[in-house]
Amino acid sequence: MTFRGKLFWMFTVALVLSIALIATGVTIVARKAFDENNTQHTEALVAQFQREFLSRGQDVARRVQTIANAEATVRMAIDLARPTADPSIYVDDARGVSQAYHLNVLDFVGSDGTIISSAEFPARFGYKMPWIKSLTEGKTIDWVAQGPFLMKIDAQSGPTVALLAVSTVRVGDKNLYIVGGERLGREFLSSLVLPVGMRALLYLNLDQKFQPADLVDENGPIDQAERFAPSIQKELQQPIERKFTINWTSDAKNAEEFHETPLLGRQNEVLGILLVGSSQREVVILERRIRFLAALAVLFGLLIALLLSWWGAARVTRPIQELAEAARAVSGGNWDTRVHVRGKGDVAELATAFNQMTQQLTDQRERLLQTERVAAWREVARRLAHELKNPLFPLQTTVENLRRAKEKNPEQFEEVFRESTGILLSEIENLKTIVGRFSDFAKMPQPELATVNVNDVVRSVVKLFEAQFGAVGRPPITPELHLEEDLPSIQADQTLLHRAVENLVLNAMDAMPAGGVLMLRTTHQDGKVDLEVSDTGTGLTPEECDRLFTPYYTTKQHGTGLGLAIVQSVVSDHGGRVSVESESGVGTSVHVELPSRPPQKPRPPAAEEKSQE
Amino acid sequence: MLAAAPAFTARRPRYGGTLVVEDGEAANSVDPSAAPANAAAGEVKTQVDSLIYDRRAADGTFSDPGPFRLAQWDPGKEAVLAANESYKGGRPFVDVVEIRMATSVQDRLADLELGKTDVAEIPADQTRRAQERGIRISRSRPDELIALVFTAGGRPANDPRVREAIASSIDRAAIVTFILQKEGEAAGGLLPQWSSGTAFLFSTAADPLHARQLWSQIPSPGAVSLGYDSSDSQMEAIAERIAVNARQAGISMTLRGNPGGTNARVKADAQLVRLRMASALSQPALAGFLNVLTPAAGLSASETSLPDSATAEQIFECEAAVVRSFSVVPIAWVPEVYGLSARVRDWDPPAPGEPLPLADVWLDEIDAPTKKGNL
Repeated sequence: MTFRGKLFWMFTVALVLSIALIATGVTIVARKAFDENNTQHTEALVAQFQREFLSRGQDVARRVQTIANAEATVRMAIDLARPTADPSIYVDDARGVSQAYHLNVLDFVGSDGTIISSAEFPARFGYKMPWIKSLTEGKTIDWVAQGPFLMKIDAQSGPTVALLAVSTVRVGDKNLYIVGGERLGREFLSSLVLPVGMRALLYLNLDQKFQPADLVDENGPIDQAERFAPSIQKELQQPIERKFTINWTSDAKNAEEFHETPLLGRQNEVLGILLVGSSQREVVILERRIRFLAALAVLFGLLIALLLSWWGAARVTRPIQELAEAARAVSGGNWDTRVHVRGKGDVAELATAFNQMTQQLTDQRERLLQTERVAAWREVARRLAHELKNPLFPLQTTVENLRRAKEKNPEQFEEVFRESTGILLSEIENLKTIVGRFSDFAKMPQPELATVNVNDVVRSVVKLFEAQFGAVGRPPITPELHLEEDLPSIQADQTLLHRAVENLVLNAMDAMPAGGVLMLRTTHQDGKVDLEVSDTGTGLTPEECDRLFTPYYTTKQHGTGLGLAIVQSVVSDHGGRVSVESESGVGTSVHVELPSRPPQKPRPPAAEEKSQE
Repeated sequence: MLAAAPAFTARRPRYGGTLVVEDGEAANSVDPSAAPANAAAGEVKTQVDSLIYDRRAADGTFSDPGPFRLAQWDPGKEAVLAANESYKGGRPFVDVVEIRMATSVQDRLADLELGKTDVAEIPADQTRRAQERGIRISRSRPDELIALVFTAGGRPANDPRVREAIASSIDRAAIVTFILQKEGEAAGGLLPQWSSGTAFLFSTAADPLHARQLWSQIPSPGAVSLGYDSSDSQMEAIAERIAVNARQAGISMTLRGNPGGTNARVKADAQLVRLRMASALSQPALAGFLNVLTPAAGLSASETSLPDSATAEQIFECEAAVVRSFSVVPIAWVPEVYGLSARVRDWDPPAPGEPLPLADVWLDEIDAPTKKGNL
């Protein structure tokens, strides 16, 4: 991945993460605020319900007490206290009184707990109302002190839950109980002031199991009431305040959170459950808006990231690209390459360091060249001294012999002179040969390319040395030619190539003073021609192999050390390679690899200088 | 029988005046030939028929003019009868009888109290209240039977244990005492004690324990539905009480009120009905009941056949067979109760099958009611 790409992704990830974190944080805070607001509204509603409950209860108690204090009720109590009392004449009284006092539950109950008249269940006269005479800690209940309470009662329409109050009219030792109240139902809910998005539901625990019809709002039974069954069952088993959420549809905004408050009776039995529901629409819409804005911000951020990464990458990578190009130039040999240093910072430091590095490399190369030049000149001087010393000594001795012969034996001087001049000429000839060799090496010409078959070159060289292979007085050398028949021709200078093969053959012959086998092999591969020249001589040490192509280096007593240097020069000028394999006691193989066409490249400056010299 | 009528000083009957009668009902057919042209398609009470015709022929048509003639007819609301001067039995005492139909109980009681009406039928359970308001009360003998009839072909009718369980759970005494305000008597048989003399042989006591035991023997009994005329408050109260009695015995019972009256009964396992005796005599009265009950309750015709000259023993056996089947459960006998204004004289409550004695009634010259109709 490019630096630009990395930069883009880095910006993008950073932006997305930041926006996601901010969006999540805002969502959490918003939801928390909404929940707190919801909780406050719910608590307010529950408190309102409780206040309404208390207020209604006190009102019911007041109305029941008013009925108990009424003249007609007192007369009824007095009448029923008689031994010959006829309760049947009062059987319809509760209905009328309940209408007058706006109570939908009213029972006149005799001293023995028998219902005399019932408004909510007229047909129930004559039956007992056992709880009215129940005892609390061994005493009859003080109903005035008891106050209003919730109770499940039987009505004509079935069981119901009512907010009841009980008053008594005592005549002698007999009581007339007046049980009055209001049914707990949807009309109770209609008195609540509900904030927008909230609703109150009431479940009356009238049956053994959850019945959807028993769950009402202010308009009556609600739709999908069975969805409340699990939570209501749980509440009936363990009456505590709890919350739960119902997802009415797959869309989360239609979810509703409910707060359950149990409504308990005198014995702490669960008679009803108040459910305050709050719609999650607002908070879900708010969350969606936050997410939408976050998504927009992410998209905008992506655009910004793209532009920033483009701009930043262009600003940061341009010097780096320049550095990379400069590094490639250095690797290509152009050590004088420099980069432009812009501004300050890491990249600028890098560019400065790069420039320093190339400067140091150039300096070191100059120093190395100087050193190599000195070393080469020293080697040349050494070789020249060595080569010239040998002929000079006979020259000096001959000249001294001539001088002594002139002084001491003038009669023999003529003979000595003739012999001495012969020697002098011979040695001078030697000197000329030495000088010629050096001159030849110094004057290596540029190859003049023509189509050349390497096999032909090899054959002509072998033919040139045929006489020496079997010369009298020296051990024979057997040439073996393994020339590939369909060897392709190459573009090369035939004369230089001939000279190089001569030197290789000469070297091989010198390496086999005791005779042996000279093997020449040609092959081709990948458009290149390989020439192998092997001998079965004594072989070379690894150190000798390393220095074998160094000019003026030789392992022979009378060699100039220029033969293989010439070979390397010719091969190099043809764009080829030369290598040596040698094993002590087995022999040496020289491999020459020549391309089909030499590459068009300028001569290195050093070579030019050398050639000029 | 005139009951609870205040004592009056003996005076000579006088002719004239308008007798105002109010009734809660409004629907019955009349012979179109006798009705005015504008009332040809209307209905008047059966009582009106018996006032404007003297007798009914064998083919069902009316014949012979009665003591009154139909002077004005407002269908379902009012009928005005004028005295038939040439009535063979002698001219009635009153000149006009004004019959106001479809009046509510409260209106009737109020009109009686205010002297706006002379004769009005009132429910038995309102008798005490009417008396407390100073209204003269006239009761007939208990001639109307309130009974529970299990519908023929219904599931409970097929299982006698269901019928017996429900019959045993009913507390008749409480119904008579509280709902009927003691205006009537608990019914054990199909004929009242005053008619048959054997009614005491039928038990009217409730036995909720027995009912519970019977009900527990019935596999998957389900709920029994009880239909009643919800426009009749007395029947509604009795039905509700029967349901409470049943529930106390562990029997599940649902009520199905029928606001249309008994003529259009809702489909239910049992019906609460009123059966008026057609005659004071046992045989025709029972025969009349059986004519209605046999198809309604699916009674066996052979067991309930009653010859015209049936003996008292045969009548009892027939009655007992029906009661023992628990297909018909007698609840109570109720009298006809009439409220009378202070000026009504010589009123005798009609016996079963007899018309109102309006031709024999005369009006004293006190507190003439407000006249609401014109001759």
